[in-house]
Amino acid sequence: MNMSLELLLATPFIGGLLTYIGGKVHRWVRNIFAVLFSLLTLGEMSLFYNTTFKGDVWGSLFGSKLILQTNPITWLFLLIVTSISLLVIVFSVDDMKHEEDHIVLDSYYMQLLFVEGAMIGIVLAGDLITFFMFWEIMSWTSYFLIVHGGKKSMDAGYKYIIMSIIGAYAMFVAIAMIYSKAHSLVYPDVALVLSQSSPTFTIWIIILLGVGFFVKAAVMPLHTWLPDAHSEAPSPVSPLLSGVLIKMGAYGLFIIFYGLMSANLAKNIMPSIFSTPVLLYIVQWLAALSIVLATFLAIMQEDAKRLLAYSSISQIGYVVLGLATGTSLGVAGGLFHALNHAIFKSLLFLAVGAVIYRTGTRNLSDLGGLVKKMPFTFVALVVGIIALAGVPPLNGFVSKWMIYEALLQKKEVFLLIMAFVGSTGAFLYVYRLVHSIFLGQLSQKHENVKDVPILMQIPMWVLVIATVIYGIFPGLAMDVIVKGMKMFGFAPIAYNLYGFPQGSTMGALKVINIASVLMISFVVAWIFFLLFSKSRKVSQYDNYAAGQVVTPELKYNYSFGFYMSFGRVIKPIFKISIERIYNYWVDAAKIFGDYYMRRVYTGNLETYNSYIVIVVTIAAAAVLLGGKIW
Amino acid sequence: MVKMILIAIGAPLVAFAIGLSFMMIKRKIVARIQRRYGPTIIQPIYDVLKLLVKEDNISHGVIFSLGPIIAIAGSILAVFFIPMAGFSMLTGSGDLIALLYIMAIGSLGMALGAGDSANPNASIGISRALTLMFGYDLPLVIIVISVALQYHTTNLSDIVAAQANGNWTLWTLPLSAIVGFVVTYGALGEHPFDIVTAPHEVATGPMVEYGGKHLGFLMISHAFHIYIEIALFVDLFLGGASNILIFYLKMFAVFFIMIMFDEVLPRFKIDDAVRFYWKWPTVVALISLIIVLVK
Amino acid sequence: MERMTEEQVKTIANMLRKRSLWMIHYCTGCGAMELPPTMTSRYDMERFGLAPYVTSRQADILLITGYLNVKTLRRVITVYEQMLDPKYVIGFGSCALNGGVYWDSYAVIKQLDRYIPADLYIAGCMPRPEAIISAFRHLMELIDSGKADGYKRYKRNLAYYKENQRKVLG
Repeated sequence: MNMSLELLLATPFIGGLLTYIGGKVHRWVRNIFAVLFSLLTLGEMSLFYNTTFKGDVWGSLFGSKLILQTNPITWLFLLIVTSISLLVIVFSVDDMKHEEDHIVLDSYYMQLLFVEGAMIGIVLAGDLITFFMFWEIMSWTSYFLIVHGGKKSMDAGYKYIIMSIIGAYAMFVAIAMIYSKAHSLVYPDVALVLSQSSPTFTIWIIILLGVGFFVKAAVMPLHTWLPDAHSEAPSPVSPLLSGVLIKMGAYGLFIIFYGLMSANLAKNIMPSIFSTPVLLYIVQWLAALSIVLATFLAIMQEDAKRLLAYSSISQIGYVVLGLATGTSLGVAGGLFHALNHAIFKSLLFLAVGAVIYRTGTRNLSDLGGLVKKMPFTFVALVVGIIALAGVPPLNGFVSKWMIYEALLQKKEVFLLIMAFVGSTGAFLYVYRLVHSIFLGQLSQKHENVKDVPILMQIPMWVLVIATVIYGIFPGLAMDVIVKGMKMFGFAPIAYNLYGFPQGSTMGALKVINIASVLMISFVVAWIFFLLFSKSRKVSQYDNYAAGQVVTPELKYNYSFGFYMSFGRVIKPIFKISIERIYNYWVDAAKIFGDYYMRRVYTGNLETYNSYIVIVVTIAAAAVLLGGKIW
Repeated sequence: MVKMILIAIGAPLVAFAIGLSFMMIKRKIVARIQRRYGPTIIQPIYDVLKLLVKEDNISHGVIFSLGPIIAIAGSILAVFFIPMAGFSMLTGSGDLIALLYIMAIGSLGMALGAGDSANPNASIGISRALTLMFGYDLPLVIIVISVALQYHTTNLSDIVAAQANGNWTLWTLPLSAIVGFVVTYGALGEHPFDIVTAPHEVATGPMVEYGGKHLGFLMISHAFHIYIEIALFVDLFLGGASNILIFYLKMFAVFFIMIMFDEVLPRFKIDDAVRFYWKWPTVVALISLIIVLVK
Repeated sequence: MERMTEEQVKTIANMLRKRSLWMIHYCTGCGAMELPPTMTSRYDMERFGLAPYVTSRQADILLITGYLNVKTLRRVITVYEQMLDPKYVIGFGSCALNGGVYWDSYAVIKQLDRYIPADLYIAGCMPRPEAIISAFRHLMELIDSGKADGYKRYKRNLAYYKENQRKVLG
């Protein structure tokens, strides 16, 4: 038996505990421990990287073996989890300095490492019990992380955990149903049971598990927790949530679609539309709707982190859309987009976090003109938004392009149109982000803002480099993805280091040519530009205002309601709010609770005592009569 | 190899020359429509050169100066992806879908530069530009998909090759071609979609603080822009060309008809422009798409 | 290619400048009324490469169209200083020359070139489009011969102009 996976899984948990204890000694011990242990996890991960471990039994529960296993897809997600966690922890060291309460900070770092460990557990899990166990640890620890963000984050976290619990219940019911049939929850056994049971059973299992993953991946209509939770969480936590945590939902969807339920099975038990099983087709539509509607919502936001949170819903839509296509190219595109989104969305959240760290506000209309004060953060943010908008030669482009090609091959034109619209809409909100924070007029109160300390810059630089490398050399990621997909029974796709060769039904892509020609033409244009007389630098107050003199007191900036006119166009869409529907049900439940639950929970001690007596009696009777509770 | 380098240098120059010639012709034609004599035919050359040799230039920062440069670099990049009369430099490195995004590089670069000018007119201009782009992108995407499905390829060279012998997309998909024509107005910011630079409303929008050589560069990039949009239309719907002269004539025909409509139209309000694009062009493009799908 | 002398570069630059004169759309007084006919079909000043432009950064010519009061002077100076060299000023109508009918007003600037350097004046109240076009032709000749150097004078005598400006603006 090989202990390496257990070691990888245990490191963050042990590290979390040690970090907490270290915090009692000195805050630097805590910080160093936190960084060290996440570095250690990353080191272990890279040590074992791309080796396949099959069925590593680490315990058993209810007669079902608990298994850790890996395949190339696992390593892809592990790479995301461990590297982003490390960067987030490094970023936290300076960002969370303002927090006075040391106990809060101790537990903060512990929870960060626990979330990392839980996500590693989810990805490594080879059976549903391990999966579910770590899934719940992840939900709860991330809930505690969210509520670190101040007063408003309490409500946001509450919403998050309620929806997570609903998802978890659905998953739990599904797992119980499988267990009642198979008496084993190891993936191959589950797949076997699903292929042998009635289609109704299988479809119910998929729907129940899917609800759990949809909540975590924030696919519409189960997304309502995300904008609040991701924007109210502390700035270093948001990249972890948006970049990594919602990918766990995508990973779960990948596992049920292609791990537990083989492609043929899905086709056999349900009708197909556009050669996609109908359930997957519905998932595709939900994903496409998330793309478009979340884009519209992101365009209208006035809060930097909320804008990014909505954009996360839209981008995870691409991942799910790609995964649900069922073709090699589409699934590869979805997985690649998961990696890319993790990189650039973490980068964006860190950059916005850096701005918040220096200015203390994330309200877009309060900011502006910071490019002169925070140039490094600006470059990081610009690289992030270019990748997010899917403009070549950065990484977001390649994966989106793969998803488009896959949809075009399948002739799913309406989904393709929606995916495109979401991508053009992304231009709008990313420009809004960079313009309102970094361009425009510098506000007087931000005259003395400096760039962030080096410890906060390093994570951003690492992510910038990753964005460029995965953009120009998509083959690096495709190596892992294609190898992994082969294990799940997908046909390999043709690719090379720089992109994709011309196929019979798909166009070619060679990002390095795009990048190099762009670079050359940029240099040529620049040299040509320098030939002419030099520019004189003028202050922002020496500005065209139809002759009026612009003074520092005068706010001469356009930032609030940047897309107001566009808002008027899409106003009819906003009349339907999914959140309002949920709130209606919440209110209804409250009324129900107030009225009927008072009959049960009377607040009277004697009633409660009698309940205890009844329960104990029943339990005793069950033990005496049956001898078994399960 | 030498030929490659010659094409690499020549293609942008030819594209620029074509775009510039259209700018020249446009001013003359517009003048004649308005019953004026109009400037000398090479007036735009004087304008650009005069701007470039200005003694004094101002800059609001590095990004401000980079804006026009990125605009030109992005335009040159896009030129290589559009088959020009038999030469197709980089169509093997990116297809039609990639081209849609490559065409956005220049505009986004310029948007960044204009934003750095700290002028609300520029910001409003860009807000309008992006909104308009969102507007015309929906029908544009639909017609691009219809053309790609029609020829079972997304490679522009193949699409051009498939239209050989007069078998133009214009005849096979007339509805898409009409929508493509309407979209080109928006993409070029011609009337009635000159909302972005509307001089009477937002003081030339993104260009408000640009003067001197910066403005000269923006005019050069506009010449490229005219070339790119119309060449794409010609390649998609008029079968490209094997000969630069025929290519030019086809482009000229498209541009001429455009100006004829352009000059007599008023200006949309920005939200009306988006509503317009999302209504009729989208519906017509969808009908055309469904025809392709059913066929 | 042989190196061109500075003189030759200047000659070519001036030749280009005189053929493309952009005028800022900035109307201080009633004289602006005469510009629409000059621009449109009847007289069509675009024939000479003249075109109205919107912002101070883009324009070459500043037309002081008619009377200039103290309140407007501040804006005119801002616009003038924002324009990029080389830039030219034309005093338009008799008000810019000597105050015209407002010669005894407390609020009107009597003599333009005490505050910003004018390269050319057009007399008359109002000057007809023919006069305006003739003035532009004359300005072109001045530019060609390098005599339209108001912007240089402004830089050279900045103290003098600023002193005068301060006196009226306070």
